[in-house]
Amino acid sequence: MVTGGLLEKVSQAGDFAGFSAGWHRGDVVPTGFTPLDRLLPAGGVRRGSLVECLAGGEASGAAALACAVACRLASDGDRAGDTASAIVVVDRKGWFHPPAVLDWLRQRGASGWHAARLVVARPAHDADELWAIDQALRCRGVAAVVAWPRAIHSTAMRRWQLAARASLAVGLFVRPFVARREPSWAEARIAVTPRSGGSLAVRRLQLSLVGGPWASTVQLQERSVEIGLDLARGGEAMLPPWVAAPYVHEREQVACRAS
Amino acid sequence: MPRIMTIWLPRWPVQRRLVENPALRKVPVFVCRRERRGVMVIVSWAWALPPWTKSARGGGRSSVPRIPSGMSLAEGMAVLALAHGSRACHMAEVEADDPTADRAALERLARQCRRFAPIVALEDAERPECLHLDVTGTAGFFGGEASLVRTAVWTLAAHGIHARVAIADTPGAAWAAAHHTERLDLRHTPPFHRRRRFAIVPPGEQALALAILPAAALRLEADVLTALREVGIDSIGGVLRVSRKSLASRFSPALAVRLAQFTGARAEPLAPAFGEELPRAAQQFDVPMSLREMGEDAIATILERLVGRCAAPLMARGDGITALQVRFERRADGGVQEPCPPVVIDVGLYRPSIAVRHVVDLVRLRMSRVRLPREIEEIVVEVVAAAPALCRQRTLFSGASESAAAEVGMLFDRLAGRLGAKAVFEPRLVRDAQPEHAWVGMPPAASASGSSRTAAVSQGPPTAPAERRPIWLAPRPVPLDVVAVVPALADAGRPPVRFRCGGEVHDVAAAHGPERIETAWWRGPIVRRDYYMVETQAGGRFWIFRRLKDGVWFLHGVCA
Repeated sequence: MVTGGLLEKVSQAGDFAGFSAGWHRGDVVPTGFTPLDRLLPAGGVRRGSLVECLAGGEASGAAALACAVACRLASDGDRAGDTASAIVVVDRKGWFHPPAVLDWLRQRGASGWHAARLVVARPAHDADELWAIDQALRCRGVAAVVAWPRAIHSTAMRRWQLAARASLAVGLFVRPFVARREPSWAEARIAVTPRSGGSLAVRRLQLSLVGGPWASTVQLQERSVEIGLDLARGGEAMLPPWVAAPYVHEREQVACRAS
Repeated sequence: MPRIMTIWLPRWPVQRRLVENPALRKVPVFVCRRERRGVMVIVSWAWALPPWTKSARGGGRSSVPRIPSGMSLAEGMAVLALAHGSRACHMAEVEADDPTADRAALERLARQCRRFAPIVALEDAERPECLHLDVTGTAGFFGGEASLVRTAVWTLAAHGIHARVAIADTPGAAWAAAHHTERLDLRHTPPFHRRRRFAIVPPGEQALALAILPAAALRLEADVLTALREVGIDSIGGVLRVSRKSLASRFSPALAVRLAQFTGARAEPLAPAFGEELPRAAQQFDVPMSLREMGEDAIATILERLVGRCAAPLMARGDGITALQVRFERRADGGVQEPCPPVVIDVGLYRPSIAVRHVVDLVRLRMSRVRLPREIEEIVVEVVAAAPALCRQRTLFSGASESAAAEVGMLFDRLAGRLGAKAVFEPRLVRDAQPEHAWVGMPPAASASGSSRTAAVSQGPPTAPAERRPIWLAPRPVPLDVVAVVPALADAGRPPVRFRCGGEVHDVAAAHGPERIETAWWRGPIVRRDYYMVETQAGGRFWIFRRLKDGVWFLHGVCA
C-alpha cells in the first residue's frame, strides 16, 4: 500500500517534471549521437525540456557536447517542420570561443541542413545571466540555449522549465559534477567524463545518467555509454567496436568513477 | 547673447561605416567615388585602430599617414604602403561613396542630439559633417557649458562616434573652434576649458580668441584662400585686420559674408529640417509628480499611451520604430527650484517595430538600470529613427517562420536593452591566425532582417580546423604552472609532462602539435607561439602554448 502510494507520487513528480508520454506532441529530436539517444529516457532530446551536462572536470568536453547537441537541434528546424533555428549561448564567464561551433554550423549548412544562427550574450552579473537564460528560453525562435551557470536556484530552474515548455526551446546547461546533489527540474542529467586515448579530431566521452524522475518509471537499456565526439564536424565519430559496445554500470559505480 | 554648440564629426563617411560595422575598425577604410575615366578618388579615409597606437599615444610620431581627400585611390594606397607596408593595402576596405546615406545617418544623429538642445540643425554644406545646436539658455540644465560639451563628447563616444565640440556666439565661430580645438590660445580660454576634444569661446570674444586660427576656419572656398595667401593673409586675425571696404573690393563677396557670420554681424539662422518629421508625444504634469507615488504601472500606462501616439502615424505609412528617446524632465532632487538636465533613455531596436508593448518593455528594461529623478514634470517620447516595417502578406505555410524570426528579433532587443548593446552579438569568423582575433562580434541587426538569415554559415572556412580550437578561450593567456618537464625535451620545446591548473595537477598523456602561430610585424607587438593540444591522463584537454621569445608556457584554452 505504502509502496503503491510512493510510486504514484513519483509518477506525479515525473509528470510535473515533464516526463510523461504524449506531453509535447512527441517531438523528440535525435541528439546526433546514437549511444546518447539510447541513454536518454525519451530516445533523444525532447523539445521544450532542460538537459543538464554534469562535467567531471573543467576540461571534460561537456560544453562541446552541449554545443554539438544544440547545433543538431537548430539544424533540425526544417526537417521537423519547426522554425526555431537560433542558438543562444549565455556566456557569463566570457570564455566562449565561437569559431569551432561556427564551423560546425557552416558544415551543416553546406550539407543541406537548416541554416542556424549563433548568438552570444555576455551578461555581467549573475542575476543578468539567469534573466537572459529565462528570456532566451521563452522565445519561440530559439532552438537551444547553452549556458554554464555557476549556481542555479531551484525556483529559477522551474521557471526555465515552464518557459522552455511554452516555447519548445531546449536548455542545455553545463554544470560541475558536484551539482548532482542539488534538486533539478531537468528532464535528463548526464554526467560527462572524459576518457583518454582519442585522437586530435575525436574525443572519447563517457556519459552516464545521474538521477532523474524517470528512474522509477522507465526501464532504461543502459546507464552508461561511451561516445566519440567528432570535433571537426560536431557530430558522432565512429569508435572501435570494442569501445562502442554498450555496457551497463551500476549507478553507484558510475558516481564513484566520475567523482 | 545666443550661444551655439557645434559638434564636428571628423571623416563622417568613414565614421558612419565604422559605427555600422565595428569590424572595420581594425583595417584601413577608404570611401571613394568614381570619377571620369574610372579614376577612384578618395572622399574620406581612416584607420581607427592602426598598429603602434600605444607608442603613438606615448608621444611618438603618429603612425597614420596623411592622405587628403581628393587624392586618387592609387596614390592613397601608395602612401599607405609606404607607411605600413603592402600588407596594409591588402587589408584595406574600399567602400563606395554614398552621400545620401551619410546625410540620413547624420540626420538620425541630429535627432538623438535633441537631448542637448531643442534646435539642432545640420551644417549648411554639400557634404555636412557638423551639427549646430542652439544651446542658448539650455547649458544651465547640464551644469554649465563646460559640463555640456563634456557630456556631448562622451555621450557620442559611448556610441562609438568621435566628435569635437565647441561653443561660441555664432555658428561660424563655433565651427572654427570645433575644427581647431587643439590650437586655441590659452590666454583667452581658462585652462579648465581647454581640452583636446572640446573648446569654449567666452561670449563676445570670438574675434580675439580665434584670431590665430587659419583663414580656412572661416569656411572659405579654395580660390578665396588662395587669393588671401597671395597677399600674405593666412589667419583669421589677418582677415579681421583688413578693412571691410578693402575686403569687398579685393576679394570674393563670399569672404565678407563668412566674416560677418563669424563675428555675428550677419545672422545665420539654424534650420532644423530633417526631411519628414518623426512623431513626438509628451505628457506634462501641472505639478511635479513623484515617481515613487505614481508607481511603475502608472508610468508604464503613460508610456504606452505616448508610444502608441507615436506609433500610430508611423503605422499609417508602413514604418516602424528603430530608435526611440524617452526624456524625463525634472526639477532638482533637493527641492531647490533650479534647472536640471533631463534623464534620457535611448532605446534601439534591431528591426523596425510598431508593437507598442514591446517598445514599452524595452523602455522599462532600461528604466530599471537608470537612476530616475524623484520628481518629474514632463515625460517626452520622441521617435529618433524609423524604417519601413517588415510587413508581409501572410502565407498559408510560412506564417510561423516569420513570427519566429520576429520573436528572435524582439529577444535581441530585450537582451540588448538590459545587458547592453555590446553584450549581445553574433560572432563572425575573421581570417586571422591569432586566436584572439579569429572572430568578431557583430550586432545581430543585419541577420535579423531576414534577408541574410544564413549569415552565420555563409562565410568561408576558418583559418584553422575546428578540432584544433577549444570551446573556451581565456581572454588573456594564463601563465602555466609547470611542475615537471622532460629535461632532454625541454630545450626542444616539447610540452611539460605535468602542470598545475585550477588547483589540480595534470599529467600529460598525449600532446598534439606544435602549431606555430606568428603574426606579422605590421600588426604591432609580434606574437610567436607554439601551440599544443595536450590530453591529460584523466582525459581532459587543454590548449597551451610556449612563447618562443622566452620559452614561458601559457594556458590559453580549455576544451570544456
